[in-house]
Amino acid sequence: MASRAPRVEYLAGFRCPLGGLAAGKPRVLCHGAEVFLSTGSELVYVYDQEGRLLTAVYKFPGQVWHLELLALRKALYVLCAQSGIYCLSLDQAGRSVSQDGGDGGDSQGTEDEQDGAPPSPVIPVDPGACVLPDATLCAFTILDDVLVTLAQGPTQWKVQLFERPSPGEDPRPGGQIGEVHLSSCTPTAGSPGEPAAPHFLPVLCCASPPSSRAPRSSRGFALEGALFGLLFGAGATLLESPAILCGLPDGQLCCVVLQTLVTSRSAPGDPKALVKILHHLEEPVVFIGALRTEPLAEDVEDEHSDCLVVLGHHGRTLAIKASWNEAGHLAPELREYRLPGPVLCAACGGHSRLYLSSPSDLCVVDLARGGSPWDPAQPDGALGGLPSLLCPTSLSVCSVVTLSVSSRTPEGGTELLALSAKGRLMTCSLDLHPETPCPTSVTSANTGQKIKELLSGIGTVSERVSSLKKAVDQRNKALMCLNEAMNVSCALLSSREGPRPISCAITTAWSCLQLQDVLTATCLLENSSSFSLDRGWALCVQVLSSSRALDLGSAGSAVTYTIPVDQLGPGGRREVTLPLGPGEDGALDLPVTVSCALFYHLREVVGGALAPTDPAQDAWPDECPPDVLPEQDGVCLPLSECTVDMLQGLRFPSLSVPPMQALGPLSPAGDPIHTFLGTCRGPGGQLAGPSSLRAKYLPPSVATIKVSAELLRAAFGDGHAGMSLGCATLQWLLAENAVGDIVRAQALSSVQGVAPDGTEVHLIVHEVAVTDLCPAGPIQAVEIQVESSSLANMCRTHHAIIGRLQRMVVEQAARGSSPPDLRLQYLHQIHANHETLLREVQTLRDRLCTEDEASSCATAQRLLQVYRQLRSPSLLLL
Amino acid sequence: MAHKTPLGSSAPPTSCLDLWREKNDQLVRQAKVAQDLGLSLRRQQLAQDALEGLRGLLHSLQGLPAAVSVLPLELSVICNFITLRASLAQGFTEDLAQDIQRGLERVLETQEQLEARLEHGLRELWDFVLHVSSLLPEVLPALHHLAGLQAALWLSTNHLGDLTFLLQTLNGSQCRASEDLLLLLKTWRPPAEESDAPLTLQDARSLRDVLLTAFAHRQGLQELITGSLPRALSSLHEAASSLCPQTVLVQVYTALGTCLRKMGSPQKALLYLIAALKGGSTWGPPLLEASRLYRQLGNTAAEIESLELLVEALSVSDIPEAPQLLIEVELLLPRPDPASPLHCGTQSQAKYLLASRCLQTGRAEDAAEHYLDLLALLLDVSEPKLSPPPCPPGPCVPEVFLEAAAALIQAGRAQDALTICEELLSRMSSLLPKRPRLWKDARKGARESPHCSPWVSATYLLQGQAWVQLGARKEAISEFSRCLELLFRATPKDKEQGPASSCEQGCTSDVALQQLRAAALISRGLEWVASGQDTRALQDFLLSVQVCPGNQDASFHLLRTLRRLDRRDEATALWRRLEAQTELPQENATWSLPLYLETCLGWIRPPDCETLLAEFRTSLLKTCDL
Repeated sequence: MASRAPRVEYLAGFRCPLGGLAAGKPRVLCHGAEVFLSTGSELVYVYDQEGRLLTAVYKFPGQVWHLELLALRKALYVLCAQSGIYCLSLDQAGRSVSQDGGDGGDSQGTEDEQDGAPPSPVIPVDPGACVLPDATLCAFTILDDVLVTLAQGPTQWKVQLFERPSPGEDPRPGGQIGEVHLSSCTPTAGSPGEPAAPHFLPVLCCASPPSSRAPRSSRGFALEGALFGLLFGAGATLLESPAILCGLPDGQLCCVVLQTLVTSRSAPGDPKALVKILHHLEEPVVFIGALRTEPLAEDVEDEHSDCLVVLGHHGRTLAIKASWNEAGHLAPELREYRLPGPVLCAACGGHSRLYLSSPSDLCVVDLARGGSPWDPAQPDGALGGLPSLLCPTSLSVCSVVTLSVSSRTPEGGTELLALSAKGRLMTCSLDLHPETPCPTSVTSANTGQKIKELLSGIGTVSERVSSLKKAVDQRNKALMCLNEAMNVSCALLSSREGPRPISCAITTAWSCLQLQDVLTATCLLENSSSFSLDRGWALCVQVLSSSRALDLGSAGSAVTYTIPVDQLGPGGRREVTLPLGPGEDGALDLPVTVSCALFYHLREVVGGALAPTDPAQDAWPDECPPDVLPEQDGVCLPLSECTVDMLQGLRFPSLSVPPMQALGPLSPAGDPIHTFLGTCRGPGGQLAGPSSLRAKYLPPSVATIKVSAELLRAAFGDGHAGMSLGCATLQWLLAENAVGDIVRAQALSSVQGVAPDGTEVHLIVHEVAVTDLCPAGPIQAVEIQVESSSLANMCRTHHAIIGRLQRMVVEQAARGSSPPDLRLQYLHQIHANHETLLREVQTLRDRLCTEDEASSCATAQRLLQVYRQLRSPSLLLL
Repeated sequence: MAHKTPLGSSAPPTSCLDLWREKNDQLVRQAKVAQDLGLSLRRQQLAQDALEGLRGLLHSLQGLPAAVSVLPLELSVICNFITLRASLAQGFTEDLAQDIQRGLERVLETQEQLEARLEHGLRELWDFVLHVSSLLPEVLPALHHLAGLQAALWLSTNHLGDLTFLLQTLNGSQCRASEDLLLLLKTWRPPAEESDAPLTLQDARSLRDVLLTAFAHRQGLQELITGSLPRALSSLHEAASSLCPQTVLVQVYTALGTCLRKMGSPQKALLYLIAALKGGSTWGPPLLEASRLYRQLGNTAAEIESLELLVEALSVSDIPEAPQLLIEVELLLPRPDPASPLHCGTQSQAKYLLASRCLQTGRAEDAAEHYLDLLALLLDVSEPKLSPPPCPPGPCVPEVFLEAAAALIQAGRAQDALTICEELLSRMSSLLPKRPRLWKDARKGARESPHCSPWVSATYLLQGQAWVQLGARKEAISEFSRCLELLFRATPKDKEQGPASSCEQGCTSDVALQQLRAAALISRGLEWVASGQDTRALQDFLLSVQVCPGNQDASFHLLRTLRRLDRRDEATALWRRLEAQTELPQENATWSLPLYLETCLGWIRPPDCETLLAEFRTSLLKTCDL
């Protein structure tokens, strides 16, 4: 393992856009002393490492996405976005520089740091150098004689095979010799005809079989026989045909055996037969490479990789090796690791080392058996060829966007060529032998060199410091937010009794929204604590309509609204109004339960800080490391709950109430014609509909409840002094309705209301005397009568009233008031009656479930009758 | 607007409309120049430039509010753009539909009726636009042209319902009732373009002719594949009689040949195939079809000859002709898939077909030569051309090797067969199972068995057979033993593991595995017999009868050995069983077996079974009489 910090040396700086270079598209290639470099812009630079100067700059008609060098033929192939593949002959390139050297003064593209080096002219590339015009190409790789491309079709990725076009010969665009479609891809949104530039480019690479006969790719790798056969099948091994590996932005890793890809010209190959999906990484594939993890046996001179490595953008790493299990089976060993992401680029070096760059660091991991020296005692092909855990070692270089292992490898070490996000080209020499270099006598030349090294070291460190500082700031901020959230939670949870420091009051009102009257709930969030609610907090309001449960036991529907609370300081208030209904169908199922809670999104606050700072972050906005925090993680603090029942939902158009309610049940604003039409169509309209007919011709449903006057008086206390008990009762019932005050002001004891669906509901309160109950004489009582043409509304109102009375009785019982003596026998009689009736209800309901339609109608009739009987000696509360 | 100048042509254009029109005409001329250039990069670039120019022009036209006076030009530019784009990409893409839709919306925009129609699909949009356009006679020609392109798009994406509807609307009320697309296409008369209309790459009428041919061709092929032959015949006749480029005509004739062959008129089919061969430069499909025809007729010599010609025809890599920068018939045809009669595969596939047919029909020498050629084709990388293996739908690559070895043995070239087998094993050496260590075997017990593809065993079997032919009995027996060792260690569940691809698993069914075991056992038994070790032979034959009860050959070998050993009772019992079996119809079809195995089984078939049975019968009768 590299134990010593690398020696970093800056070579040159290149123009980079504001915010740094984005990873994915820059490339750096090294051939001898020459470095070919593209930064993702239209320019390709040729840099001479020995002379330390820029020798040429080529300008292409579009962004350069990929470079590949065919060293044998001295040709550089360049993929230019929206344009196609260009081929530059390197001999010719040198010539053209000297030829065109005089005319170009256009050096704006380069900022050569080397003083004294003349600014190189920018050579526009001749369109004739385009060997494969195709605007949809996303990746390519070159083998000896063939060119493999990956193009994005409208719905699918297309792998195409061409006879290698070269610039010198007469290029034949029709030289396609094979094609196959890969899995479907999600088309990038863009204006028609102009596909948007993809965020992630697919990765294409070529794996060769071990035999030397097969054509080799310049950037591909040779795999040892067993792994090759396992991955690509016996056919490929027999044919000794290279295979093409594709890593797609959706995470798929698939392969095609090159020789099977050759198809007849007219027909693309059958994907089912040709394409094999090896794995799904579930994050964009950014790198495919191969390593030698096991030491070579003495008699093998050719080094073939025995481990395939695939890296995903978020750091998920797949390693595949061939191994023999105990029984001698050849079996793939597949292991997934998680390395720090997002991965900007990676490279495979010798000695089983994988270099990968994230925004904060350049790491090296060793895939040899746990990094431990190979144990010769272990039999060949034993289990556990891959380490169970990878430990990345930092090299303290940050924001490297592209990386390549230099061909000028020093003895025993590795030299990496890297381009940083700031556009600096550097070499990192890794000395793999930990022994310290022997001290040499200091000469003046040595000193100069030393100072240079120190300076570039400072440069790296300062770049790294700024990125780390950003990360620290972000983390501090997140911690502060978390602390605040902790305080709020503690305050809320500790104060179970008494007023809560943060409260939410829920009120209801009818209002007119979009030409329709809607019952709205207003939640008033009040922060009376000393903490402020910051980013990350949200108010969740759940509206649960449960009235269906009253009828048939079906579950009600729940809707949850989440409203971000943005900055609510101490003493601040925020009001949120939500519609409760009626919905599109005109129905409003009362009662509705509205519950409020505060929710704290951990992800929103902490997620950003956990993602490593990324100078190229603009390329991937709003991205968080997956799996660190689950999607829904957060803290939920319940605040309040309230049930909106029929008494709150009634409207009283006959009473003079605020203007919008005075308009009548379903009449929208203004236009009389609309009003007319509305009443015609509406469910509660006068002209049509069965309910209105029923209202006209059937007697209204009635229910009564009697409450002893004493009980009511005790409950009301002094608040309602000076008014009749009937009026006070009515006012008490409608206290949460806007009409409550009017009832009081006009001293009403009966009101005519309108239910949400438009039917009328009549509430009448009068004082009665109950005679036959108490031996001591008649009891003063208040009779509350509910009348409505709609049975459902009558029931809902009845239910609401009983709910209130129940609560009142419970409160009164707590205060210990004693009821008067009662004629117990009479009560028993009533009780027994009710018992039988209830039993009948039960059997009827059971029958209703099993019967067919015709007889169930009769049963339902009977059920209604029984219910009426149940109500008829009305409920009496004392 | 149109200024008349005395000098005519040299007048500078005066309005934007003229400028745009000029630009369109110039781009169309550029595309036409590109078309005449022949296949080259220059042509590609010129065409690409023209396409970009048209795109830009379209952008500037559509940047302004739609106006009736500009509409004809705008629609023509859309048509040119789509035509060029589709012909360059060799297919219609989804975004072209959006371009068409945009054009239609622009027409509606001039009529201020856009809002009401926005949410409708393309089909309803067309309906509405064509109704509106009756008010705009000047737009009509361009609109019909666009409709033609829409029809082409729907045809190529197989939206025939939409296509029918569109054509019904285009034809107006006269044949609204007709559902027949061919009839509809024939009755559609696109209005002639005015002489001063903007230039187009392809006019509506030629587009209609292309549509007509393409539809008839498509329809015919589809009916041919689904098996409704008479209808296919009439559709294909329709395609052949319409305006048809030569290459398409060859396809149509070939399809007609297939159709007639299936309908049982081989002579007529032959006539069409000859016409197809005379007609064009693509000889592959008609030759393949001819070989099928001769096979059906039982004329093996002619079949083999046409396959040889097919191989030769496919070896000539035809230089692709530059596709026209127009909507052509080929563009609208489905890509031939393996199910299509027009699919003739690659050279190596044809070569394999030839070789295997030679082997099946008993032309062993030819078969051996063809197999060797095929292997050379597949493995030789010195040639610049890559050849795909014949799979799928053919056998997997190892099986091609095995068949080659079998053919060589059949042809009496055992030494060559051994070389092939050794090559196969050496290339696969890294995938062969390692011999499990003894101490591990002891610990794990015998349940664990190494996976090995059946073809490795088959290789040993063939090697053994080669040795048999060379007279090296000892080597042969040792190869058969190796084969058996592997075969009996492999359990069926192992088939899912290992480097076998789906293709490899497909061709080794359980039946094949059984037969392979039986073949190896019989082969070894025969060698024991030859070396005089009858008891050992008996053991092997007994085992083979148990392993593969359906294999009668094993029983005959067993019977013979039993008789030789004079084990009369067992022999009699076996004979009775055999007699009973031979009375039943033979149904153990060997067609599902791999060709190499079938060939191998042919070598070990016992001679004169009937005489053996007869002899037995008489001898038994004799003993009964006694």
